Amino acid sequence: MDESNEELEPLFDYRRVQPFNTPFNVVCLDDDTPDSSPVISKKRKMIDSTAEKKKDKNEAVQKIDCEEKEEDWLPPSPNISAHTSNLLEDSTIKEIRLKKKELASFAQSAKDELRDVEESVKRDLSASLHSLQDSVTEMPSKPSTDRVKMVISIQDKDGTKQFRVYADDKFERLFKSFADKVKLELQNLVFCFDGDKINPNATPSSLGMEDDDIIEVHEKPSC
Amino acid sequence: MSAGIARGRLAEERKAWRKNHPHGFVAKPETVPDGTVNLMVWHCSIPGKTGTDWEGGCYPVTIHFSEDYPSKPPKCKFPQGFFHPNVYPSGTVCLSILNEDSGWRPAITVKQILVGIQDLLDQPNPADPAQTEGYHLFIQDAIEYKKRVKLQAKQYPPLV
Repeated sequence: MDESNEELEPLFDYRRVQPFNTPFNVVCLDDDTPDSSPVISKKRKMIDSTAEKKKDKNEAVQKIDCEEKEEDWLPPSPNISAHTSNLLEDSTIKEIRLKKKELASFAQSAKDELRDVEESVKRDLSASLHSLQDSVTEMPSKPSTDRVKMVISIQDKDGTKQFRVYADDKFERLFKSFADKVKLELQNLVFCFDGDKINPNATPSSLGMEDDDIIEVHEKPSC
Repeated sequence: MSAGIARGRLAEERKAWRKNHPHGFVAKPETVPDGTVNLMVWHCSIPGKTGTDWEGGCYPVTIHFSEDYPSKPPKCKFPQGFFHPNVYPSGTVCLSILNEDSGWRPAITVKQILVGIQDLLDQPNPADPAQTEGYHLFIQDAIEYKKRVKLQAKQYPPLV
């Protein structure tokens, strides 16, 4: 805060060497340093205005000048020493206000960020839902890029065979291809996951299956 | 602290089981009515070995893990009154690898436990009886014992 103020300070500021409490002060500012006000940064103006709100109009300009002096490099002159505690308080209040503003803007930007993320997630979700619906209806033609693939092992008494399937693909297809592979009738096979019979209309994702999970196949009517 | 160890290990066990387990076995942590999973209790099913009198049965076993698992072995239980020389009337399995003071090692997996129990089914240990009925028939009346085992196999048909 202070640094930026200093950077934008005019090299020579008459206000600093002017006595403050004299009625001339205000006049001097207006007359002698007409170019000082445009040089003052926006921020400075903002600070000034916030401070002014609190003060009577006459006092305001003086106080701010004093305060600057304190913060910068000139030792406090005796005639303002009476004000110091007041001034200190004033500067802290200003600082707090600025902080508050800063924080508020932070919070705002965070909110914006959050909203952006939410929106993008929603977009993604609806997109993926769309693709899911699409893929169910037109499975063979749909490109596989946005569908989750996983490897499921089907285990029979003699060992396991691995199958690559889509997480949202009905088991029906997997079971058929297994039956074809082992040359057994599909009706004589029972597929289980975790001890429960698998409904051919279920999908790996609907059963919460993970990559490399095993499905057991049993030939009716053995165990 | 120890609870964290037990649960962490059991989560690993579960993961490993899902990827690979012997055919016909089931082992899954219990799901409590509110839908959450209780890793400390597993409901399992052990198939009787083919070619034995136990064939055709799928025997339910509940494994209760303590907070001290795997330092201490879990307790494995068949249904109450299960017919087997090494099963207590309560259903608790008496097996060396499940005994803290004899065969248990923390490295023993759930898979090894269940396969161990499957082996025990058709290979009872007469040196360590846990119930009178099963034990007496086993050493005194082989024919009656066989009959009882086959009958019991029918009582526990496969789940599917």
